[in-house]
Amino acid sequence: MWLWNKIKQLAISFRAGKVTLGYPFEPRPAPEGFRGQPVWDHTRCIGCAGCANHCPARTIFLRDICQEVRILLYDSSRCTYCGRCADLCPEKAITMSQNFELATDNRQDITQTIELFMMTCQRCGRCYDLEIKNYLDKLSSLGYRYDCLEVRKVIHRATADFSPDMLEKTSSYQRPDSLEK
Amino acid sequence: MSRAEELSRRLREELGNLVLDLETGTPGRLFIDVSKEALGKVAASLKNQGARYQAAVAYDARKTGQGFGLIHTFAFDRDSLLVAVRTFAPEDDPEFESITPLIPGAGWSEREYIDLLGLKFKNHPEPRRLVLSDDWPEGIHPLRRDVPHDLMPPAAEEVAFRLEKAPAGTSIIPFGPFHASLHEPAHFSVYVDGEDIKGCEYRGFMTHRGIEKLAQTELTYNEVPFVAERICGICGSVHSVNYAQAVEAAAGLKIPRRAEFIRTVMLEIERLHSHLLWLGVAGHLIGFDTVFMQSWRIREKIMWLAEKITGNRKTYGMVIIGGVRRDIERQRASEIRVVLTEVEKEMLALEKAILKDKAIHKRTKGVGHLSKEAAVSWNLVGPVARARGLAIDVRKDHPYAAYDEVDFEVVTADSCDVWGTLVVRVKEVYEAIRIINQCLDKLGRLPEHEPLSLVLEGPVPSGRQGLSVVEAPRGEAVHYVLTGDDNRPERWRVRAPTYAHLQAVPDMLLNNKLADFPIIVGQIDPCISCTDRVLVIKLGQGRAELLQKQELERISRSRRKER
Repeated sequence: MWLWNKIKQLAISFRAGKVTLGYPFEPRPAPEGFRGQPVWDHTRCIGCAGCANHCPARTIFLRDICQEVRILLYDSSRCTYCGRCADLCPEKAITMSQNFELATDNRQDITQTIELFMMTCQRCGRCYDLEIKNYLDKLSSLGYRYDCLEVRKVIHRATADFSPDMLEKTSSYQRPDSLEK
Repeated sequence: MSRAEELSRRLREELGNLVLDLETGTPGRLFIDVSKEALGKVAASLKNQGARYQAAVAYDARKTGQGFGLIHTFAFDRDSLLVAVRTFAPEDDPEFESITPLIPGAGWSEREYIDLLGLKFKNHPEPRRLVLSDDWPEGIHPLRRDVPHDLMPPAAEEVAFRLEKAPAGTSIIPFGPFHASLHEPAHFSVYVDGEDIKGCEYRGFMTHRGIEKLAQTELTYNEVPFVAERICGICGSVHSVNYAQAVEAAAGLKIPRRAEFIRTVMLEIERLHSHLLWLGVAGHLIGFDTVFMQSWRIREKIMWLAEKITGNRKTYGMVIIGGVRRDIERQRASEIRVVLTEVEKEMLALEKAILKDKAIHKRTKGVGHLSKEAAVSWNLVGPVARARGLAIDVRKDHPYAAYDEVDFEVVTADSCDVWGTLVVRVKEVYEAIRIINQCLDKLGRLPEHEPLSLVLEGPVPSGRQGLSVVEAPRGEAVHYVLTGDDNRPERWRVRAPTYAHLQAVPDMLLNNKLADFPIIVGQIDPCISCTDRVLVIKLGQGRAELLQKQELERISRSRRKER
């Protein structure tokens, strides 16, 4: 009985043969619909902050560096690839790509930064998208944000209200050469 | 008269005006508010009527002037009824009567709130720390509203476990926090007399990630499912579905039927992969690696299937409040059927080849024995309870999602040992396949291209209670949600099945051989990350035997500089 069981087990093991894949020497493409690295299409992004406000892992940051320029920074090092950003984007500017080979020793490799040119609203003094159309009042976003891009931390409701001081500060703002120190 | 009505009438008769409020709005749920003095009586009354204790939930209600709230939840499995008994204690005297002398399984829940909320329990047999580490400062209770979620007190240097002394005539064998037979950090200090285990002390909760605190301070309702999914690396979908159900119950939402079927399919796919994973691990723990290799080979097909359906092997990300995110179309359904047929065939062959193998019988029969009565008194759930002849299964007893429409069998065994657990979990693989096939049939008959999730018309009302249970592969998981303001829960409590099981491990180990330790602990499929979900990261545990902590730090720092 014991021997018969062992023979059966041998048969199962032999029938299965070699199941280990040749990866990474042979490529293994991800299936269709895979949630890999999200990619932003800067021509479509309207800077509405929908993705930043709904990211469960808080990996998407926004800051208006001056009256006309809004920066969106995506830091993939903590991303869980849930794909909520892609679901929620009203302009379908985000696609979850097939790319999953993201291991790196340089954080900058997996960071995406978009500079968005915005226009100043004459009524409230904040900036809004000028190229496509204004979605701001249709979106119930949590309010404007002034996230710290250097330490990559969300600053909640920091600029929920427009402050004239900030406007004054930003009027003499020089755009930095690079965002990373 | 339904069970809920009968119970309400009986409690009112027994306790009179000590019962403050009864809420029977949701079918299958009964929320009771009692005054503090009545807590012990209610618990005793419910226990005498055959209720199974689930978990305690405590929260900081000082904002509304109610002090601290404590909720004990009970299940009447035959009557599909869950009961939550809530009581409040004032801020300056947060003392409740302990129900642990009556219900031993409540011991951990109460100790948890001694640590996290600074509550006191009168007559608790063992009121020492459970969750917080030994070097956590006295008087800081992290789940209180005034403690920030990212508080990290500095670790004390040189802190070792304050462990109990071994009983006379025995010596201690330490297992863990890092040990070849434990896959996650937990410490068992096992008392042995020669080869025989005479007792053990458990120290755990080393991997707290502060998920519950995070949900009630930082996240919003629809962000929590994705974080809940990461409570566990194996039964993630269970936790996200469970959380979503609790919120939906609290808010009174009815999700689309198609979404319920899709949730059921995903839960069963998860059960398939988890049972095959456990079978492999169990084989590995008893040194039978053929089982390990072959069951994991079969499991890999399920993982690829899940990747195709949801876009990821494991963290499916399917669930949001009000429904699901992706559909299972007709073509995808036929792909699932093909894979399931293959898995069933391979599983049958594997079962035939291993279940009669003498090696497995000798290592599992009579090992980790725990009687049916002990299983009832420790409130065991899932396959561990079913291996002890208790036919309890949340899917049958408290149907959720689409389980009310599918036909399946609750597999039980009566050997009360590791062998029984093994048989139950192997047989449940076929039941899971049956359930998925039925769901796919019914899904095919529902109209396609309809919205898979509700659009919420307004904010979730605050102050509502939601209680949800889901049968995870390793047992019943309980989620309790109290809705709050600011688009986030006021309190969210998770009780994973391992939380109930681990408390019974010392009894299971008693009088077994030390060599069987791994498989006895392994039979409950311990998921430490599920159990340790609640709070702030634990700091500076234990002491390195050979290298001192400073030494290790120096080495790792110099490594980093070299790079």
